[in-house]
Amino acid sequence: MTDVTLSPGKATAAVKRPTGASIGPRWSNALFVAPYLAFYLALLVYPLFKGIWMSMLQSDMFDDTSKFAGLANYYRLFNDKVFIGSVWNTIWFVVMTVPAFVAIGLLLALALNRSDRTSATLRAIFFGTSVLSVTIVTIIWKMMYMPGNGAIAGIMRFFGMEPLAFTTTASLALPAIAITTVWWIIGLPMMLFLAALQQIPGELYEAAALDNASRWRSFWSITMPSIRRTLLVVVIYEIVAQFQLFGQALLLTQGGPNNASRPIVLFIYEQGFRSWNLGYAAAASEILFIIMAVAALAQFFASRKRVEE
Amino acid sequence: MAASERIVGRGIGNKVILASVVLVAIVWMLPIAWVLILSFKPNSELMISTASAFHPPYTLKNYTDIFQTSGVFRWLWNSAVVSVGVTVGILILSSLAGYGFARAEFKGRDVIFILVLLGLAVPEQAVIIARHQIFSDLKMHNTYPAIILPGLSSAFGVFLMTQYFKAIPKDIDEAAMLDNASRFKIFWKVLLPLTIPAQATLGIFSFLGAWNDYLWPLISATKPEMFTITVGIASTQTNFAQSEGLGFLMAQAIFAGLPVFVVYLFFQKYIVRAVAGAAIT
Amino acid sequence: MRKLSTVLLAGLVVTAGAGAALAADKTEISVSRFFGACEADYGSVTDVTKANGECGIITALINKFNAESTTTTVKPEIVEWPGYDQLTARIRSGEPPVISVMHEAVISDYSSRGLLEPLDEDFAKAGIDVNDMTDAARQGVTKDGKIYAMPFDTHTWLWHINLNLFKQAGLVDEAGKPILPKSTDELFAQAAQFKEKTGKPYFISTLANETAFYTRTFDTLLYQQNADFFADPNKVNFSSPEAKGALQLLADIYSKDLTTKNQDYAASVSSFAAGDGGVFICGTWLIDTYDQEAKKDGALANGYAVTAFPQIYPGSPRVWADGHSWVLLKQDLSDAQRASAIEFMKFLWDNNYEWSRTGHLPIRKSIIDSDQFKNLPHRADIASLAVNGTALPSAVKRQFSIQDIEGEEVGSAMRGDKSVDQALTDAETRINELLANAK
Repeated sequence: MTDVTLSPGKATAAVKRPTGASIGPRWSNALFVAPYLAFYLALLVYPLFKGIWMSMLQSDMFDDTSKFAGLANYYRLFNDKVFIGSVWNTIWFVVMTVPAFVAIGLLLALALNRSDRTSATLRAIFFGTSVLSVTIVTIIWKMMYMPGNGAIAGIMRFFGMEPLAFTTTASLALPAIAITTVWWIIGLPMMLFLAALQQIPGELYEAAALDNASRWRSFWSITMPSIRRTLLVVVIYEIVAQFQLFGQALLLTQGGPNNASRPIVLFIYEQGFRSWNLGYAAAASEILFIIMAVAALAQFFASRKRVEE
Repeated sequence: MAASERIVGRGIGNKVILASVVLVAIVWMLPIAWVLILSFKPNSELMISTASAFHPPYTLKNYTDIFQTSGVFRWLWNSAVVSVGVTVGILILSSLAGYGFARAEFKGRDVIFILVLLGLAVPEQAVIIARHQIFSDLKMHNTYPAIILPGLSSAFGVFLMTQYFKAIPKDIDEAAMLDNASRFKIFWKVLLPLTIPAQATLGIFSFLGAWNDYLWPLISATKPEMFTITVGIASTQTNFAQSEGLGFLMAQAIFAGLPVFVVYLFFQKYIVRAVAGAAIT
Repeated sequence: MRKLSTVLLAGLVVTAGAGAALAADKTEISVSRFFGACEADYGSVTDVTKANGECGIITALINKFNAESTTTTVKPEIVEWPGYDQLTARIRSGEPPVISVMHEAVISDYSSRGLLEPLDEDFAKAGIDVNDMTDAARQGVTKDGKIYAMPFDTHTWLWHINLNLFKQAGLVDEAGKPILPKSTDELFAQAAQFKEKTGKPYFISTLANETAFYTRTFDTLLYQQNADFFADPNKVNFSSPEAKGALQLLADIYSKDLTTKNQDYAASVSSFAAGDGGVFICGTWLIDTYDQEAKKDGALANGYAVTAFPQIYPGSPRVWADGHSWVLLKQDLSDAQRASAIEFMKFLWDNNYEWSRTGHLPIRKSIIDSDQFKNLPHRADIASLAVNGTALPSAVKRQFSIQDIEGEEVGSAMRGDKSVDQALTDAETRINELLANAK
């Protein structure tokens, strides 16, 4: 059907075959990607553009008389202390959690990179919490943070300390959510690091041992360079994931106190479904989109450079 | 791995490390242990204080109450349907598309692939308002398709599978082509079986993602009989439940967490391997 | 078809208590409510007099209705409190419940957008005498001259008192009644005395994870000073000396350690039952719960009292109030469904006394005046609330969102995260911004 001219060897083969697959481009090959593209266009691309359009409307959830407002919603956003606060909260949350995920994940992976039973059990424990859903995780941590009846309060009182009010002190609310989040999904970075560590050829360490290199030195000169790619994967993945903070904040603190723990997604949700300001909520969505796109691009270029080095 | 362990392993040092990790693990388990204990306490006692947690009486009533009445079973079932639906859907779509982008050329393919990759930068939350409007206009909310379909638009699976297909040596399908096989047959019979590790990885990520999703089901599944377990449990976390039915709430949390946890323990080995797979691709 | 199968499946799940066999020839209507889930204890109770607490009584009421009605089955759908986010999403999706519980403060948001059915004619046909509604209730459900809901209760803000601790603090008079402050100075003096004698804070308050305490208390303090902060329903005014004084009062209570801190709702409720403080500022709905607690051994044994919010400013005894009510959501209802919905509302109207056993005030004058109601414990002490309970003017839109914002800002100042002036300015800006963009 099509001309096959890639290599002489194959050309002869192709002649024998009138109905089979061919190597060159063919429109029917698009059928493989068509089903996904349909979903992609209908449920991601279309909503994205619809959202951009909505962000330029002054529209109410139950009122069809939405009118074009240009960039008014954006202008309002940049003057909205609560929104600006939510942007900083989200960034601050990412700054707190991503290094924690990397450091704790890597430490656990290093310690548990062994084949004995104990290590397997420990790996299971640390990964196990990831399978719980966010509502269960927040119930569990509410029981920890509750000022009167919570476990942490009890422990602190036992040691004669005044219990901290995690979810109600402005400076502690977001860290409390961060701790909960790290506890919840530390399993994934740990596993990713474990997998990477197991790819490192043992000979490298043997050679280092012959040189009498310290554990510390072999970590920096062998382990770290070998897992650089995974490190990047984890960092990018976690940045993207933690930017989308929502459930923990809604269920643990409702964004309070004093707006100290309200992330962008919660702001979007509240504007949309509590205040019924669809246009305004859509505009906030676009800001989230832009921030994440920039973060993703920056990461992409940074990773390129570093891997090429 | 044995080699690295043997060499780096320096007796005492390793034991100290392991011991401290065990300690951390115990701390890690504390929150769950605490909720577990509370779930066996009578509600009326907890209403006064949780300090009585370490003394009898204990009761199973909170758990038997679940069996009698709570919506937990229905919600678990909904979550199972939704998560399996999302997982199967993603595996099918991503495998086909991954093969297409990696192997089956057509005009404009590479441009389309880049456009799909750009989709990775679009967070679900950024399109949630528009999506809700779309499904509302179609009158589709409160159905399984409404909860499942948006998950299928994620570009992550396509990216993963494309990378995986690309890594398979071309000789393998070229050999099949010589045997007169059609494109689909090559995909289905020859290459797909080779991608099972990637399927497992993607499947587990998709399943866990769907099982734990909160925002979309929260605004799409608004009828109690369509709640997923995540939304359902949240709906019971009211003020009143926390003051007057704390033990019951704890039992619900434990009970709702149990199924996936058991599945996880069963398949732990495979899950670990699958997650590891993601790191290598 | 899909709807049918969903209903059938849901039916299977609910079967446990409801007896689905009967449901086949009855009209089923969905009733969405909060108040919690307690079928485990009350799933089969149809004798309402045996039920206690909000959750127990509403569950038993619906059971009783289902057992007695020959034409209607109510399918209760229990949602999160307050549940408006999800209700909104559900209405937008085109499949609202037939009936939903709704705070009176919220009704106008929905009624003004044509999402609720006016009920005047249905009530007249069903023989519901709207003239028997209390003024508070009638005003609460009337928007633009039409009645949009069946009122269920009026609930207000009041003081739950631990008399045992009050005695210990020397704050009980010869008749055994608690001695309460009549001015801000007395408040601080008595609270200090209480703390000195008992070693415990005077107040227990819900300061964590929700804003209700802040808004309701602050509004009450403004009402007491006759500060009309919503003279213009489109603009809030917090830049008055009254607002500043009230907020400073709250901040002082906090900074002088006269209240428990950092307790969320559950913690504060249990804290009062455990005797951690003298006064719990909370709502009517806990009266029955604490009254039961006072019959047991414990910190409240024989020592529970309740009183209207004491007037500490020389203005008026008015107090924050709201009400629960039941609305009929606009949708394609068959005549049978509409009749069933009204039948259920009439049933709630007829059984309003049972609901008032929770501690909420009834919405019928005939019940408030009845001996049956007056003989309930503590009701004489709070009867004044039916007159003094005050809601925001009904022309004010987005009342729930407003109360949220107000509470957040009041809370920030009370806890000292912000200055009083800053919080008042921020609250004003945010609320007016919201109202300027609200339809």
